[in-house]
Amino acid sequence: MIKALLQGKPFGHPLHPLLVHLPIGLFILSLLLDLGTLLFDGGNDLVRGAFYTMLFGVIMALVAAVPGLVDRADIREDHPARPTANTHLVLNLTAVGLYGVSLVLRYLDLDAEATGLIAFLLSLVGAAILSYSGYLGGTMVYGDGIAVGRHRRKSETPGLTIRVGPAEVRSGYAPVAEVGRLPEGATLRAEVNGQVMTIANVGGDYYAFQEFCTHRFGPLSEGHFEDHQIMCPWHGSCFDVRSGKVTQGPAKVDLKTYPVMVEAGWVCVGDGE
Amino acid sequence: MSLKEFLQGAWLGHPIHTALVHIPTALWPAALVFDVLTVLGIGGNPMVRTSYYCILAGLVVSLLAVPTGLADWWDIKPEKPARKLGLYHLGLNVVIVVIEAVNLYLRLGDELEATAVGATPLLLSVLAVGLLLVAGYLGGRMVYHYGTSVARLSKDKWRRMAEAGGANVPEEKS
Repeated sequence: MIKALLQGKPFGHPLHPLLVHLPIGLFILSLLLDLGTLLFDGGNDLVRGAFYTMLFGVIMALVAAVPGLVDRADIREDHPARPTANTHLVLNLTAVGLYGVSLVLRYLDLDAEATGLIAFLLSLVGAAILSYSGYLGGTMVYGDGIAVGRHRRKSETPGLTIRVGPAEVRSGYAPVAEVGRLPEGATLRAEVNGQVMTIANVGGDYYAFQEFCTHRFGPLSEGHFEDHQIMCPWHGSCFDVRSGKVTQGPAKVDLKTYPVMVEAGWVCVGDGE
Repeated sequence: MSLKEFLQGAWLGHPIHTALVHIPTALWPAALVFDVLTVLGIGGNPMVRTSYYCILAGLVVSLLAVPTGLADWWDIKPEKPARKLGLYHLGLNVVIVVIEAVNLYLRLGDELEATAVGATPLLLSVLAVGLLLVAGYLGGRMVYHYGTSVARLSKDKWRRMAEAGGANVPEEKS
């Protein structure tokens, strides 16, 4: 419940990318005010302005970190965005650390006529790190679709891809997971002989279909179910899980489906060959 | 690269509008916080000036956010719900920019020497931030609910991954 709240599901919008507007804007303004104290005779007003702005920025950065950590933990372990998220996290912590030191230096010299050189340089380096880190955050959303459409999903998303090699295939079927790992409404993401697929339990029946949406290739294992339809989290394309047919665009091409059977308590899929 | 693609951020691999809007989205609520502090007697004239700079910097960047936002909106198909949402988002933002411009004007002259922000500028800040929350939320819904600009610049990367994973894919547009 707390996790869903921190993910912003009740608001239909993730919280982290919303909250980060504040530190990003405030840290940049603080730097501009510093420049003002160095270039013009703005005096103590600007020095204090830069300090207040940075203080507010650090507070909001710490608030934004909480839902950010929750969002990071929810990215599949083998997702290409996972290393990006780790870099984003380390860079942000570094930047906030630099701002923290800069704040202390400013506090000790709050009556100055111009921002001190070290406090200013820390802010400059912080802004450079934050710009790159913010860019990485943006590529996670716009490039890799992290958190896009996530609020529609009711169950957990798969934490990793289950990989099954050709050696494990028996008479055309590969055992993927014990049935207990696939309760109703859940999905698994599997790679069987190089075929990447979603395996879903819809109303007690098992279905397997290609993982990638046929529009812009969004992750169907993170999609949302309505009856026997799976909705892609990215742009809302819908497919019938039984036939793979498109039931709602923007996608135009049907999904590839795979045969599924249960044997000795294991969900087994045909590799489509 | 066309002007539209340039404004959409094709050279950066990331939409520009959504990056730029961080500045006004942060600075206008910050100005309101600083306004309230001055009214409570905290910060005095330096705080009044800080609030003024926040509004000014937010306005400058918001003007850059308009053409980039329009370029993103341009590519949403007319029948999509995000298209209409984008229009509301645009209309609200224009109203907010006008309010903040008036707000800035009212703070010039003697007001800039004061130790607390006046009642009218304070109310304009409240109004602008209230509308900004709605406009920003609509912008966020466009991205996180309807996927506007999502995988627009990265679709070739994902196409290759889908092909490698044995998926059916549509024919590539030349």
